[in-house]
Amino acid sequence: MIQQLIFGIVTGSIIALGAIGLSMIYDILDLVNFAHGDFMTLGAYLTFLFNVSLNLNLILAAALGIILTGVISLILDKIMWKKLRDKGAGSITLLITAIGLALVIRNLIVFQWGGSNVGFDLPLSQNLNFHGIMISTSGVLTVVVAALLMIALDLILRKTKIGKAMRALSDNKNLARITGINVDNIILWTWGIGTSFAAVGGVLYGLNTVIRPDMGWFLLLPIFAAVILGGIGNPYGAMVGGLIIGISQEMSTIILPSSYKIAVSFVILILVMLIKPEGIFGEK
Amino acid sequence: MKDNNVLEAKNLVAGYTDLDILNGVSIELKEDEIVSIIGPNGAGKSTLLKSIFGILKPRKGKVIFKNEDITGLKPNKIVKKGMSYVPQDKNTFPSLSVRENLEMGAFIKEDGTKEKINEILTKFPDLKEKENQKVSKLSGGQRQMVAMGRAMMLDPDALLLDEPSAGLAPNLVDEVFQKIEKINKTGTPILVVEQNARKILSISERGYVLEMGENRLEGKGKELLNNEEVEKLYLGG
Amino acid sequence: MAIGISYIISLLILFGIYAIFALGLNLEWGFTGILNFGHVAFFGIGAYSTVILNQMGVPIYIAIVAGIIIAGLFGVLVALPAMRLRGDYFAIVTIGFSEIVRYFMLNEEWLTGGPLGLRDFDIPLSFVPSQYYNIAMLILVLALLALTYLILKALINSPWGRVLKSIREDEDVSKALGKNVFRYKIQSIALGSAIAGLAGILLAFNHKYLNPNYYMPLITFYAWIIVILGGSGNNKGTILGALIFWTFMSLTRFSPGYLPISSTDLGALRMVIIGLLLIVLMMYKPEGLLGNKEELKLDI
Ligand SMILES: Nc1ncnc2c1ncn2[C@@H]1O[C@H](COP(=O)(O)OP(=O)(O)OP(=O)(O)O)[C@@H](O)[C@H]1O
Ligand SMILES: [Mg+2]
Repeated sequence: MIQQLIFGIVTGSIIALGAIGLSMIYDILDLVNFAHGDFMTLGAYLTFLFNVSLNLNLILAAALGIILTGVISLILDKIMWKKLRDKGAGSITLLITAIGLALVIRNLIVFQWGGSNVGFDLPLSQNLNFHGIMISTSGVLTVVVAALLMIALDLILRKTKIGKAMRALSDNKNLARITGINVDNIILWTWGIGTSFAAVGGVLYGLNTVIRPDMGWFLLLPIFAAVILGGIGNPYGAMVGGLIIGISQEMSTIILPSSYKIAVSFVILILVMLIKPEGIFGEK
Repeated sequence: MKDNNVLEAKNLVAGYTDLDILNGVSIELKEDEIVSIIGPNGAGKSTLLKSIFGILKPRKGKVIFKNEDITGLKPNKIVKKGMSYVPQDKNTFPSLSVRENLEMGAFIKEDGTKEKINEILTKFPDLKEKENQKVSKLSGGQRQMVAMGRAMMLDPDALLLDEPSAGLAPNLVDEVFQKIEKINKTGTPILVVEQNARKILSISERGYVLEMGENRLEGKGKELLNNEEVEKLYLGG
Repeated sequence: MAIGISYIISLLILFGIYAIFALGLNLEWGFTGILNFGHVAFFGIGAYSTVILNQMGVPIYIAIVAGIIIAGLFGVLVALPAMRLRGDYFAIVTIGFSEIVRYFMLNEEWLTGGPLGLRDFDIPLSFVPSQYYNIAMLILVLALLALTYLILKALINSPWGRVLKSIREDEDVSKALGKNVFRYKIQSIALGSAIAGLAGILLAFNHKYLNPNYYMPLITFYAWIIVILGGSGNNKGTILGALIFWTFMSLTRFSPGYLPISSTDLGALRMVIIGLLLIVLMMYKPEGLLGNKEELKLDI
């Protein structure tokens, strides 16, 4: 029971890291980014590239991989999303485009690195054992990194001009324009923060398990559940939602076969959509 | 300089769909003036402000601001030229605090924001007390103050207000009008759309009556107040 | 030469099956504006229901009809709660549903055979001598494609179809006219899912074998690409889209031998191209090849 709770917190931290970006992008760009999970995968593979193929140490490799993933999302905004925005493309056009992008990213990964599992070059890690309850060092690292990033995001959103403008944009995009906020610029910041958080989540996932081309796809449904649960556009809600989904998934293995973990997030997703579509913290 | 016009709209034609809502509207705003626009619901008053501020692209006509043709510029450019606009509704960022709302008003400025915020908060003492509260928690009147304060952050050379008194309790309406006069006294020309025709005309230098997207009447504020037609239609006999 | 012809026949069979499958989606999306991203679920449900019923002793022709009906009923089952949601939520829910269905197929071995799938079921064309089986299958598939097309054409030109179109164009107007939009949408998804079920059953007969991996979410995206490429809301376009799509898929399958590239790599590259095609279509030609730009309203 406590063991599952611990697994749940680790999984939940990873889901939360994905959910934050998805939620902000969903809200600010009106884009249901079906490619978001694939950015997590991309972050993990780029880190793998620097770490294993180019022999850098893992921390440096992760930093490079994560930054590169963020930069790629900025380029994509310049060459794709901004063009669609300027044409006035609506949310469904954007959604279908995102699915196309997801196919491209995932299959470029398969093309480059093959379809089978890979792993980082890690020193053998020991599990910490507290009276029979196992915690892996990577699990501890995951929770610590996720917590630090969330604190950092909170500071950005509350203390910096960019962060406040992101919240303003999320409140009312038209008013933000009228006010003179540089909307395109804030959108780039949103992409940068959102995708690099996703990439961190992907790297942490790879640390805890393995790296696979479809890992992001399998994380996507729980991430959607976390986003809807927390309320679209609410990064704090996404954090809490991620933890709730992660913990529920792992707890469910006590009574259900573990292959149905993902069904648990699906059921939560549907219930929230039907009962409180604005999310548990939503006021609207 | 041929006259002291700050802002001038000439024969504006604009609309949302194929249909034209404005059929050639012209107005002028001169230095130090309060100019009001009144007219029935759906006359195109809000549409006029949106076309001036670049939210709608005019199909015909010109918008001249400080002797410069700004027709068709996007709102973010127009803000930089020194015009501010407070829309009719959804004119604040509800999840931001009062202070943060004001700060967003000065987004395009590099510095001096803190001092300006403090200056505005002293002009709106009600807001001073609530500066760190979320705007969604404020009353309608206070929110309107936040919206006007936000628009004043850049010391604009012209301020557009769309129905600042809409939906407010009568005592608050008076307060809002006092604020408008006060802002104007500090040297900001204001173009204001209002339903509350009697009150706004009494503080306006000049006024325009719009109907069906066309200029119907115009004149000095006091004259319009005494105009029979205006009296019958908008001031309620 | 003989290999060439049999290859073309098997390609045409797949074209026919996917054309039927995509026609079901076109009814939902192209004509009604329903964002179903779990279309593959009904493809699988139809096939599994038919095969499982047949293995339980139900004669195959009855099992086929039952499979089609069950697929349609599942469409209703999903849509009843989910149709009240916004379009983007509906997309997420349906994609999730199709994944759950696939997990069920993978894990409930007692019923579905699990990852090994199901074989040993009756095939309707078993009386045909085996060297002509593929041709007979092709004729059957094309006949059913023509039948589906004609039925849809008649339906869409009927008053019912005109209401669907008006819903797609402007839901509020149809509501104001007193049409029960919800009921029409449910009917559309029921029929679309039943058509998907038929296609799924045909796929099972074609392979004489059933496996959860035939029902990956990717298959839904195949249908979307076919519909969008051909032009949303245009059934001829959907059929043309299916033809182009399968020609592309098979042409890029020839490589090993000619190109220094492995088949996994080739499969991946093919998907990259398909993804790029989808992006380019959405950016530059969202109305597709035969679609009508004026009529197409992507955002509802
Ligand atoms: N976003 C829009 N899309 C389409 N038509 C619009 C839109 N906004 C306003 N209209 C139409 O334009 C016309 C003028 O509207 P506008 O808002 O300018 O009127 P108004 O004079 O400001 O009225 P009110 O006193 O009610 O605010 C109305 O017929 C209205 O229906
Ligand atoms: Mg108005």
